[in-house]
Amino acid sequence: MSLLNKRVLLVTGKGGAGKSTLAASLALAAAERGKRVLLVETHGSNRLPVVFGKRSMNYQVQHLTSSLYHLSVTSQKALEEYIVGVIKLRALYKLVFRNRVMGPFMDAVPGLHELIQLGKVMNLERTKERGKPEWDLMVVDAPATGHGLSMLNAPASMMELTRTGPFYENAKLVQSIWGDPKRTGLLLVTLPEDMPVNETLDLYTRLGDYQKQLVLCVLNEVHVAPATSSQWAHASPHLSAPGLLQAKTLADRHMGRIDRQEQARERLSALPCPLVELPFLGHRDLNLADITQLANQLQEAL
Amino acid sequence: MSLRVLVCCGSGGVGKTTTSAALAMQAALCGQRVAVLTIDPAKRLADSLGIGPLSNTPQRVPLQHIGIETSGHLDALMLDMKATWDGVVRRFGGSHQAQQRILDNRYYELASTRLAGSHEYMAMQRLYELYESGDYDLILLDTPPTRHAMEFLSAPQRLNGLFDEGVMHWLSLPRSKRGFKALERGSEVVVSVLKKLIGAGTMEEIAEFFDAMKGMWAGFQERSAAVDALLASDETRFVLVTTPAPAARKEAQEFADLLAETQRPFGGFVVNRVVPFPGPQTRITPAQLPPRPDAVPEETWRAASLALLAAADRQQTLADGEAKAMAQLREQAGGSVSLWTVPELEADVHDLRSLAILAKHLAPAIQELGQI
Repeated sequence: MSLLNKRVLLVTGKGGAGKSTLAASLALAAAERGKRVLLVETHGSNRLPVVFGKRSMNYQVQHLTSSLYHLSVTSQKALEEYIVGVIKLRALYKLVFRNRVMGPFMDAVPGLHELIQLGKVMNLERTKERGKPEWDLMVVDAPATGHGLSMLNAPASMMELTRTGPFYENAKLVQSIWGDPKRTGLLLVTLPEDMPVNETLDLYTRLGDYQKQLVLCVLNEVHVAPATSSQWAHASPHLSAPGLLQAKTLADRHMGRIDRQEQARERLSALPCPLVELPFLGHRDLNLADITQLANQLQEAL
Repeated sequence: MSLRVLVCCGSGGVGKTTTSAALAMQAALCGQRVAVLTIDPAKRLADSLGIGPLSNTPQRVPLQHIGIETSGHLDALMLDMKATWDGVVRRFGGSHQAQQRILDNRYYELASTRLAGSHEYMAMQRLYELYESGDYDLILLDTPPTRHAMEFLSAPQRLNGLFDEGVMHWLSLPRSKRGFKALERGSEVVVSVLKKLIGAGTMEEIAEFFDAMKGMWAGFQERSAAVDALLASDETRFVLVTTPAPAARKEAQEFADLLAETQRPFGGFVVNRVVPFPGPQTRITPAQLPPRPDAVPEETWRAASLALLAAADRQQTLADGEAKAMAQLREQAGGSVSLWTVPELEADVHDLRSLAILAKHLAPAIQELGQI
């Protein structure tokens, strides 16, 4: 499957749609196929190592299982690393950039944090070990839609802002890797309800030039459909014996969900990428059993 | 009552915007003059209010269209970042010429729409304008989805930090050529490092921007302090919107802790999309099913019967899980905290009528908050 032949996969989508779970499952599925995979968290929550029974470590590559590794890239740390790399003096960085006055300024430069995070990922894409890339695949658990989009647009924003200098050059480099559909792919995670689907389709139109990067749409939390909505519409008027009323109200409710699910599927089919469906697992705690189960399901779908 | 502002916070995807609109509607039904300020509503919500696209100016929601008669009214508006920024510049920017200098700056153009924290900050500014106008008894603020609760609450500080005298001083040095004597070694280093990173041209533009903003700084600070005071006062309550899903709950709990820490007034939790327990009458056996009519194919009948027979169990599993989750939230929040639940509705809110159904579920919340 061409998806796993990319170097970087970015996972974004509506908040609460299951981005972290999907990113972890995808990374695990790739690792099980023998790829050396780095799972990158960008939102600082750093929850995944704990799920795998490991300690959370900030900004340090950590082994999770088989050939799966994890790294939490916080923008603060990435920025420090980057600027120290340019100006060569850590003490100067601390003095100049993290004091009371400059700290807020650096935080406020539009897109800087996102750019630096993305830049870190793209740097890792290029690191080699004995002549071979260190990572076969990097799966990035990116921020939710709005922030996710500013992350994708960060290189362009920075280039527009600076027009010269190391930040500009860095943005250009990041752009060249991120904008290369051979190397990077984008996954959108959504839920089978109207609003999340609207948001996903809206995000797609706002992707602009990056639309060609879209490799997969994942419809998460798909409910089991005992019947199709047309079957239900056809038969349910006849299922009206006494004593069935309350059960029917419940079934109607569930079938309403199934109906919206069918519509979601239909509307998402307009996207120029495959659609993979993952089942509703009854709850949404991030846990290893679910990640493993979804990884297995993804194996089949990939 | 003294309650003037309700701020709805929560993570993405919990129905925050819709909840804000429904709370606002309910307050209007109780006879109040209400405004709801949304950040980035899904198009459907705007449609559902029956007023087409929302804009920066308040628009009256036609409650009479669904047969509602009330002495109150509901206005809806959407935050326009650029327009609100421009308004702030016009208000505090001094002479016309000084204002124009800021408005024409290229960095201002970029900064005004993209600066971190400026979304949150401008939402608060617009809220304060509405508050000051005296046109409303109650204003609902729907907040931008944040990665962390702190991002919202600290936005004014972050932006104030940016326009801090110190930064202004440092960054406007290369332009205002007065004072090489006063030039501290630190600022010389900052400027040279920044020049190296972003290029001299950009540095010049940014310096120009900060230089132009200088005159605004005092007004800006004063205004933020007033907004901050309002949001910490007894006229405000923060409502945390969540769902029974663990991630959303966890974030709501963290936000509640943060409110306590920063001494902001917490109103309570709204828990959306709670699956109700199935009643005893919902469990049925195959024997209760009527015989298949000839008009319905066997396959179709089998599938539909299964949907009916399995309904109660499915509902039970969902409701069990959620009940546990809610008990956890109550326990963590402590006994005295209000928690209002909204059952999962048949469909998304898509018109005024369905918004009114949601509003009705939130009546206890408005009643309780109204007693403040």
